[in-house]
Amino acid sequence: MKPGEIRAGVRRLFELAVRRPERAAADADAELQSLVDEQALYLMARGMPEAAARGEALRRVGGTLSESGARVHRSAEQRERRLKLHEWLEDLVADLRYAVRTLRRSPALAGAALLTLALPIGANTAIFSAVSAVLLRPLPFRDPARLVMLWEENPDFHWHQADAAPANMLDWKEQAGVFSDVAGYPDFAGTATLTGYGEPRLLNAQPVTGNFFDLLGIRAALGRTFRDAETWRDGGPPGVVLSHRAWRDVFGADRGLVGRSVQLGGRATEVIGVLPEGFAFPGLEADVWQTVRWDRSDRAQIWFRRAHWLRVIGRLKPGVTLGGADAALQAVVTRLKRDYPVTNIHMGAGLTPLHEFLAGNTKLPLLVMFGAVATLLLIACANVANLLLVRAAGREREAALRLALGAGRGRLLRQALAESLLLAGLGGAAGLGLGWWGVRMLAALQPEGMLPVHDITLSWRVLLYVSGAAALSALLCGAAPMLWTGRRVPADVLRDEGRTASGGRRARHWGDVLLASQVALALTLTLGAGLLVRSYLRLQRVGPGFDSHNVLAVQLTLPGTRYDSTRKVLAFYAELERQARALPGAEAAALVSLVPLGPSSWSSQMAIAGRQPIDGQVVHRELSPEYQRVMRVPLLRGRLLSEADRQDAPYVVLINETLARTYFRGEDPLGQRLIFDRVPDSTSNWRTVVGVVGDERQSSLAVDPQPEILEPYPQESRNGMTLLIRTANDPASLAPAARRLVARLDPLLAISSIKTMDEVRSQSLARDRFLAVLMLAFAGVGMVLGIVGVYGVVAQLARRRMREMGIRIALGARGMQVQWLVVRHGVTVTGIGIGLGLLLALAATRVIRTLLFQVAPIDPLTFMAVPVLVLLTAGLASWLPAARASRADPCQVLRMD
Amino acid sequence: MALLKGTLDVLVLKALSFGPLHGFEITRWIEDGSGGEFTIESAALLQALHRLEERRLLGAEWGITENNRRARYYSLTPAGRAHLRTETAALRNSVAALAGLLNARTASLAAGR
Repeated sequence: MKPGEIRAGVRRLFELAVRRPERAAADADAELQSLVDEQALYLMARGMPEAAARGEALRRVGGTLSESGARVHRSAEQRERRLKLHEWLEDLVADLRYAVRTLRRSPALAGAALLTLALPIGANTAIFSAVSAVLLRPLPFRDPARLVMLWEENPDFHWHQADAAPANMLDWKEQAGVFSDVAGYPDFAGTATLTGYGEPRLLNAQPVTGNFFDLLGIRAALGRTFRDAETWRDGGPPGVVLSHRAWRDVFGADRGLVGRSVQLGGRATEVIGVLPEGFAFPGLEADVWQTVRWDRSDRAQIWFRRAHWLRVIGRLKPGVTLGGADAALQAVVTRLKRDYPVTNIHMGAGLTPLHEFLAGNTKLPLLVMFGAVATLLLIACANVANLLLVRAAGREREAALRLALGAGRGRLLRQALAESLLLAGLGGAAGLGLGWWGVRMLAALQPEGMLPVHDITLSWRVLLYVSGAAALSALLCGAAPMLWTGRRVPADVLRDEGRTASGGRRARHWGDVLLASQVALALTLTLGAGLLVRSYLRLQRVGPGFDSHNVLAVQLTLPGTRYDSTRKVLAFYAELERQARALPGAEAAALVSLVPLGPSSWSSQMAIAGRQPIDGQVVHRELSPEYQRVMRVPLLRGRLLSEADRQDAPYVVLINETLARTYFRGEDPLGQRLIFDRVPDSTSNWRTVVGVVGDERQSSLAVDPQPEILEPYPQESRNGMTLLIRTANDPASLAPAARRLVARLDPLLAISSIKTMDEVRSQSLARDRFLAVLMLAFAGVGMVLGIVGVYGVVAQLARRRMREMGIRIALGARGMQVQWLVVRHGVTVTGIGIGLGLLLALAATRVIRTLLFQVAPIDPLTFMAVPVLVLLTAGLASWLPAARASRADPCQVLRMD
Repeated sequence: MALLKGTLDVLVLKALSFGPLHGFEITRWIEDGSGGEFTIESAALLQALHRLEERRLLGAEWGITENNRRARYYSLTPAGRAHLRTETAALRNSVAALAGLLNARTASLAAGR
């Protein structure tokens, strides 16, 4: 712009009333009128009579006056709107430039504010990415909103959303009439040993019904997926579909693989297709997919309706609502209860949208973490607002002067906002970077299977959320200084004789409000974290009922194709156990079908000879006689199992203490006879109780021991067993020897996993630990911010009252007395914050009730200890600046102004 | 005769390139300068002025005419001056092309170039 020229906007500013549209229209009218008048005058000056001149001038408007007027109004109004926007943007740029200049003048403040905002925004980015991936994003299947999870329930057994029996699933599919299709898959993946491609390799194998992929709307990348008929054994030869990853990593992305056979579990199996890259069904990590391959005759078998082991998904027909589908399902359930009372009399069923079901028990922890990071952001905003407020108070005279010189109050507010907007924008950008890194951290630290690792990305939804969070932070940070700046009367400020000390009484007030809310939020966060940590510590201290120390667990599955008889299976395991015992460093060895605290357990119904049927579940495991010695589980009564309890010997079992207490109260359990059927019949295999052993926690440390039956493994043989070795020293050091032992016994056998029992125990707590650690980290950051806030406010106060303190000291007051003047303030505001925080926490901690183990949501210890700790820390944070101020030389302080 | 579409804006800018004018002065400059060939309708002129102002090619302020009446005086902004230069060149080219076509003596497609 050349000197001397005045910006159009400025000119327009002085032409005061152009702003409103109606004013623009009036102006346009006036202008049109002036054109007509000038034209008429011109024509009259040329000698035309007045009436004729007026008529000609009007004719030359170009249409009737009202119609032309309307056109001109429109163009004028549009001009106003556009110009206003331009000016607004120009002002914004100027404000931002001004903000950049001010921030550069105080780099320490800018740096502190940026860091304070960037950290929580980063945490928000990371956690929200997970929330978005797990809870918000639609499942990557065709028309996912129509997908439902179908489940069975049995209130008598405390089954909720449980696995379904195959026969029931097929009846739902055929009779409900509301599903376009229903498919199922077992909840537990199997394994298959691949040979012929280098070392024998154990692949995760997932059986599904033949229509599984069609139901989801997934097409194969190569070849085809299964056909519905392949659910059944008569539907063609067994084939496998490979996951894209297995195809790439195991088979070297061989495009010619489809149609060829590979050796799986010792049997040639045709590869019929490869799934598209990125296909994942939450919870299923399969390398190869197979079909369940039932016999048509299975449908008539009682076990097909009694054994519940299928997860069932359905696709609603178009136009069918969730409620309608449920009603139709209940009708089928009622019919099944009537037709199959033996198996179905207690069985109910229900359905849930698939995405809700899959989010399942990840939802609450995620939302809790989300709440925590959102709170953290609020604390950070309060902190930055306080920083800006202190600065604004320092610049009060500048603001007052500008107001007095005619700057608009609105403009001053906008400048304050521009500054916080700039801070939040930069903080948001930095936070996004931190968040990108945080997402990777989350994926690395999370307990296996909690979050869909591959799918957590910075999506548009995350970007939108972060921008929103940053904009909100800008408003919150800017609000306090703005409100305050907006209220002061310039004359008052300017009258204050240049002494900043007495200015900003209101600023201090706002600062205290911010500080108290900050402390309240930080306290709530810390209380929540405290509860989760305490709950985790409690869980960790729970005795599992066995000694997990110095035990190595080697999990194996013998392929049914090569180990096709009980004799072969038993022979292998007997030899394995015998040789394991002889390994150097091994003290004892045993076999068990499932390790305690592992991911799965088997449960069954039970009946006791001579009693009414029992409506209850027992869990059961198969083990070798040495098990209790290896795991150090005490024998309470009777005897342990022995080598004599062979396949052909009388059937015997051990029971745990809980089973004895539950079903044999006041009786001698020894010699009682049990079966795994609710209603015995002539084929039932009665087993005699020979001993009572101590309780082990089977599924989780948080769940009380369930009634359990322990059978000798030769009497109920299983292909999958775990070898347990008790060692003298570090059990992990024995792992290579154990691997060599397995390889020597069967070179083609792959090991499913080798872990120490300490690891198994620790992994069972991974989720609780993850949540506790993250919450603790968030609370820690929140608390640091809160304490820094206390420090900042008190330091400001101490600086302001330095003079007074100096005078008092000069007059003989003791240091402590003088310091108390300001410490009192910090402690009082913190105390108010703690009071508010306790109230807030009473409501907030109720939300995490279900995540707590043996800790009440209002745990007295936590609710006492945390506030006291906060108060002490705040006292210290207040005392530091107070002490510094009081130690200053009184002579110098008095000379300061 | 009415003006070709788009030329009014250029002529308005050209009129203002000699100094600020109010609406009727612009009308007169164009009408007189064209020897009465072009006539300008007032509403169309105002719309053009609003349009140009909206694009920040013009600035405007209220003033008093020789006849002692209120009128908006328009002046070129630097952006307007630059715009005038490019538009003038473009208009010259199309006028030349138009003239070439109107002077053509053959219908042959190949002969032109």
